[in-house]
Amino acid sequence: MSKATAGVRRRDFLKTAGSAVAVGAAAPCIIPSGVLAADGRPGANERLTFGHIGVGGMGGYHLDDMVGRMKRGEVNIAAVCDVDEKRLANASRTAGPQADCFRDYRYVLDRKDIDAVVIATPDHWHAVQTVHAAERGKHVYVEKPACCTVEEGKAMISAAKKAGIAVQVGSQGRSQPEAYLAHRYLVNGNIGKITQVDCFHYLSPVGAFSPDSDPPPELDWDAWLGPLRWRPYNRGYCHGTFRWLMESGGGQIRDRGAHVMSCAMWWMNADGTGPVEIEATGEAPERGLWDSAVKISVKYTFKNPDWVLTWNQPGEPAPPEERTGNEPGGPITRPGYGAVYRGDKGTFTHWGGDGGTWAERKAREWQPGPGAKDVYKSPGHKEDWFEGIKTGKKTIMNVEAAADVAILTVLGNLSFLLGRKLQWDHSKREIVGDEQARRLMGRPQRYPYAV
Amino acid sequence: MEEITLELLLERIKSADDATRASARDHAGSVGAAAVAPLAKIAATGELEIARAANHAIQNIVYHAGRPGAQAEAAAVAAELLKLLDNSLPLQLRRDVLWMTWQIAGEEAVDTVAALLSNAELNESARMTLERLPGEKATAALKAALAAAPDDAKPALAHSLQVRGVDTPGVPDLRLKPTKATAVKPVGR
Repeated sequence: MSKATAGVRRRDFLKTAGSAVAVGAAAPCIIPSGVLAADGRPGANERLTFGHIGVGGMGGYHLDDMVGRMKRGEVNIAAVCDVDEKRLANASRTAGPQADCFRDYRYVLDRKDIDAVVIATPDHWHAVQTVHAAERGKHVYVEKPACCTVEEGKAMISAAKKAGIAVQVGSQGRSQPEAYLAHRYLVNGNIGKITQVDCFHYLSPVGAFSPDSDPPPELDWDAWLGPLRWRPYNRGYCHGTFRWLMESGGGQIRDRGAHVMSCAMWWMNADGTGPVEIEATGEAPERGLWDSAVKISVKYTFKNPDWVLTWNQPGEPAPPEERTGNEPGGPITRPGYGAVYRGDKGTFTHWGGDGGTWAERKAREWQPGPGAKDVYKSPGHKEDWFEGIKTGKKTIMNVEAAADVAILTVLGNLSFLLGRKLQWDHSKREIVGDEQARRLMGRPQRYPYAV
Repeated sequence: MEEITLELLLERIKSADDATRASARDHAGSVGAAAVAPLAKIAATGELEIARAANHAIQNIVYHAGRPGAQAEAAAVAAELLKLLDNSLPLQLRRDVLWMTWQIAGEEAVDTVAALLSNAELNESARMTLERLPGEKATAALKAALAAAPDDAKPALAHSLQVRGVDTPGVPDLRLKPTKATAVKPVGR
């Protein structure tokens, strides 16, 4: 246990001290202006303390990013956590000696000195760890997609609301500079009324032909599986390749769909809404352990307002435009996915949708005239989250919006698996008229790894 | 969807050709309950990719039989799944069968599944299945199991009851209790 854990949490001390000052009005105030904030939130000038849960892959990126902030004196990093001892040891070298090491994320959640956690574990852990973090009062940045089932998404929303925490989900495309330009261009009617958004993406891979085996000694396989039903280790599951398993990753539609469809829902002003009908077709891999659809096409029908969102894997990729590299988003390095927006006055294309989001030239060059609508411009995905923590403002990829985007991808896969259309009541976030599909809105979880 | 016979399904699912095998797997749904037991036998004994295809074909049958308006098909498939839960199949395959059972079965599955709560290797899968089976009978089975369970088994059973909306006062909640220590020490300390 760290020294910090044994001590009084800094914010609690300051709150207590502040109360004492208020009672003893004659006492000199030694608390810097701006440190204390309402509702127990950290003050604008207070340095937040973070724990990192899952430190490989994107988790390594987040840790590097936060270490940079720590070196600039902006944040503290108190803990790193991973179920792979090699990854954990690497993370310790990155984070520095002040960061304690844990295999079990619940030790991180028990730490009183930690304000917030960055969760970058495999997708099947996102909901459970977010809910548990909320129950411990920690603010959460969690990688996308938010959830693997409808039930998980609803549990995340409920837990975050109950705890009053700020959640930012890692669909960082919303915070990219060209996302702002695209959003502003579209809401000002430059392509007229938009009735269809067609997402395109290349195929999910086929692979993992090996039989099951013993896990490597550095990996706690039980902890890696967490809420998933028990299965023997197979090297096709991890690391990173969990994405191609339907139960844990769900394929490209869940991975990149959480980016491209996130942009669509944001730019179409459709956060808080959902489709009424989902219909998917696709092809599963012919062999191998990975079972996510290689090809999948999904049609999401929205009503009031009426529009259609489609996911097309492979679809018809729009050829990337030529660039100088000096554009806000730089050169287009991932042209294989994006979306085409179809309005009654024209079309608009973007590529990427994640950390690289590239808007078509006409949106970048459009100059708003008098009376033009402006839209929210994110200061950066993590900065937006920090603001959410300190002020209580809704984050740009808040838990409701992120759960709804993830649910879109979940419903697409479910329609594909079942081979039939699904009807959806977004006001209840429920499938209607199909008992089996309703059961599959959730799934049982291994105890104690349960929401 | 193309319909194939049971004989063709079983022949093609054993094919060495990936495309033939995958097509059989993807069209297994229409064959229905009659294919469950023979596919399970192939899943238990076949070469790796053939076993995977057979297992996946059973899942496709479960999905197809669960469609709206096909209650009789669903019941027939559920009955076939329950027959597979004796000791004749490999452990992991029985876990897979339990996983499919909660997706399609009704109260008729409760007794068979509840009996597995005392099986040291299948009890967690059985608990998870009971948690999701519809009806009061599954709730009653979980309550009875909780009352008879040793202390270390109570929290999981209580969790399943809570998922079903049943309060379980006095049973500890272990979800947030850390248990797994690491051997990794912070660098430089």
